[in-house]
Amino acid sequence: MTYSWLGALPLALTFAACGGGEKPRAAASGGDLLTIGYDREPDTMNRYATHILEDIESCVVEGLVVNDEKMNIIPVLALEVPSTGNGSVILRPDGGMDVTWKLRAGVKWHDGVPHTSADVKFTVDAINKGDWKPESVDGFDRIESVDTPDSLTAVVHYREVYAPYRLQFVRGTLPKHLLDGKNIDAATDYNRKPLGTGPYRVIEWKTGEYILLEGVPNYWRGAEFPKIKRLLFKFLPNTTTRINQLKSGEVQLVALVPWDKVRELRGLPNVRLNQVVGNGYEHVTLNQKRFTPFADIAVRRAMAHAVDRDLIVNTLLDSLVTVVNGPIQPLSSAYEKNVTTYPYDPSRARALLDSAGWVTGADGIRAKAGKRLAFTLITQSGFAIRENVSQALQKQFRDVGIDASVRLIDGTSISSVWFKGDFDAMLHWWQQGADPEMTLFFASDRMPPAGRNINYFKDDSLTAMLYASDRTADEAQRITLLKAAQQRLAVLIPELPLYNTAKIDAVPARLQGFTGNPTNAGPFWNVYQWQLTAR
Amino acid sequence: MIRFVLRRLAQSVPLLLVISLLIFALIHAAPGGPLSTYLENPNVRPEDIERLRRAMGLDRPLGMQYLSWLWAFVRGDWGFSYADGRPVLDRLLERVPATLELIGVACVMALIAAVPVGIMAAVNRRFDRVSSLFAVAGISLPVFWFGLLLQLVFAGALGWLPSSGRASFDGGDFADRVAHLLLPATVLAAALSAAWSRYLRRAMRDTVARPFIRAARSRGLSERTLLLHHALPNALPTFVTVVLLDVSMMASGAVVTESIFAWPGIGSLFTEALGKRDYAVLMAFLMCGSVAVMVLNLVADLAVHALDPRTRDAA
Repeated sequence: MTYSWLGALPLALTFAACGGGEKPRAAASGGDLLTIGYDREPDTMNRYATHILEDIESCVVEGLVVNDEKMNIIPVLALEVPSTGNGSVILRPDGGMDVTWKLRAGVKWHDGVPHTSADVKFTVDAINKGDWKPESVDGFDRIESVDTPDSLTAVVHYREVYAPYRLQFVRGTLPKHLLDGKNIDAATDYNRKPLGTGPYRVIEWKTGEYILLEGVPNYWRGAEFPKIKRLLFKFLPNTTTRINQLKSGEVQLVALVPWDKVRELRGLPNVRLNQVVGNGYEHVTLNQKRFTPFADIAVRRAMAHAVDRDLIVNTLLDSLVTVVNGPIQPLSSAYEKNVTTYPYDPSRARALLDSAGWVTGADGIRAKAGKRLAFTLITQSGFAIRENVSQALQKQFRDVGIDASVRLIDGTSISSVWFKGDFDAMLHWWQQGADPEMTLFFASDRMPPAGRNINYFKDDSLTAMLYASDRTADEAQRITLLKAAQQRLAVLIPELPLYNTAKIDAVPARLQGFTGNPTNAGPFWNVYQWQLTAR
Repeated sequence: MIRFVLRRLAQSVPLLLVISLLIFALIHAAPGGPLSTYLENPNVRPEDIERLRRAMGLDRPLGMQYLSWLWAFVRGDWGFSYADGRPVLDRLLERVPATLELIGVACVMALIAAVPVGIMAAVNRRFDRVSSLFAVAGISLPVFWFGLLLQLVFAGALGWLPSSGRASFDGGDFADRVAHLLLPATVLAAALSAAWSRYLRRAMRDTVARPFIRAARSRGLSERTLLLHHALPNALPTFVTVVLLDVSMMASGAVVTESIFAWPGIGSLFTEALGKRDYAVLMAFLMCGSVAVMVLNLVADLAVHALDPRTRDAA
């Protein structure tokens, strides 16, 4: 074995001395090229069909609107965002609604064909035709028809009021002139190199290695955009490899740096860490159907008081995140700050359990009518911080007489476990959509498979508020309802909110215009503005 | 000889059938499925999940799914990837060259290291002790740890070699490709050469101890001639069998190495497909792996047949 690996190292040194390895570093440092270490290879570049974040796609295919870094909805290919206030949303007496989209003039697909309302209509028709596999048909399935009175106006007729209508075309439109009459699932040319209106187009997709994008010459925002000529997305699924490449300069940008890697990136001279408040929250789901003591509100409140969230955030999470008290996150327009909170107070937790009849047994664990307060807390394996947080929770619950045994489950398996309701409690997060809808998660009739109410929690008044918020097109009224729903949730505390899922991106120190983004629009939403300044 | 090959091929058909059934059962027994990734996404409604389940044919009974897969597979239709909708055959074939390149180079590197070390260890006791120490290290080093260590040293600290990928996107000349290949090939070669050198040492020792070597030595042959022309050919059949069996295992991709070094081979495709429970790709990949093991087993038998005259007489 002397020559096995040790024998190979001198060989490596010899080749290295020939200078073969210098290229990537030099290539990555040019001002006209930005190299991104991306954690996975996209399944498809079709924004409607992909089921991963649309970072790369959004550089090529633009939405009619986009969420900015503050989660405001701002127009892109639309001239303005429709609303009841500007007269572009009309509620019909039959209970339906009409939304008028005015498109920006002068926008062309990359092949020179104008982008028109016919493309909007084609997109709706194609998705509703049902002969291919878009990821989600949400909202589209409520559209009756689309009228195109002129080439820049599309009137979308909904059968019923659909509150998130403003985000209906956040994934853009499909080019009618290219895809009409085609099987979109099998349209490999489009799905690998989509035709868009955005600042970049796909030059090369080398399977398993990278996607190279190049700025289009006549981008509609002006010839000065995009400022960076080429973007190279290298697929680096291994987190350590991605971080190593960032350190070695082979890649310059890594989006969504895992929190436990932030420390080793601090102080790197060419790297800036950009942090935004996330649109998701880590929490403990309490499955009332499987572990019935969770149906006792005293138990839930006691558990909330038993958890020292500040300690967890300040130690295990290096203060990178902030404690939150509910599912709607601070950047959302529907966020309600004034809700019931449960500060860390173990003696209060004990008192609550005592008064509810949960008596401490000889083993230190409480029980009532023969049922012990002992459950299994599942969480994702290989997610170092979560594994640590689950142990901290275990200790803190134990301090008030509640026994939680931790079980780790791999990332792919865990979703099917919770979807079947096959768990007692789960430490995880929800990454929310840009729209603040909560019905899917908390309405009484939205337990799996009809939704994601995996607390299996029922409250008629909350459910009524949530459905009412879905059925109003008036944004102010909707926010009022959602704020009331958050207050109700905090009182009933069906799950234990822990902290906001801050998003941290590592970007070159000399990159300007980068803001990050808390929503699934991803940090590339304004990529046309990015600029690498001289060293 | 031809009858032997034909008999072996005929035997492999029922075996492959059983393997396919086992693989199918195992990958479906694992929790989760191709739709698991959709569950986390709040934009994908329960109605969407049902629609996709039907569209992907996942709502049919498992037995039916297996039979329709088998029928299509034997007709050469390997189906479409659940993850990206492209033909499975295309997805596999585009990855094969990278894997062959990596495995080929790693095997050559491992052989170059293992053969001299194995021979010397067989005849020199002191060298044997030292080399066995390194062999144990080589076999025990976890690939993911050793790979990341090499990355940190040669790509990170020293900056001599690229840490991952198969070529620079705008480069791709010979030197660039060699530079990309070195680290992953070294990691693979390390474990292989460690094991192989020990096998060769053992085989050489057994051979050297046999009477015909003593007889040859008494005839005054030089040690060099004795080792290379008399002992080595007799030790080779065992060694070649081991090497070919190891290579057959690697034909299904150097899964961990490829993932660490973002090497675009079938091993990294397998990791990705496993994470997404892409049943179509997993079935095709595992079946190809099984066929490769069978074929290389047969090749190993034939190689021994060619190298060892005694087996020829027996046949």
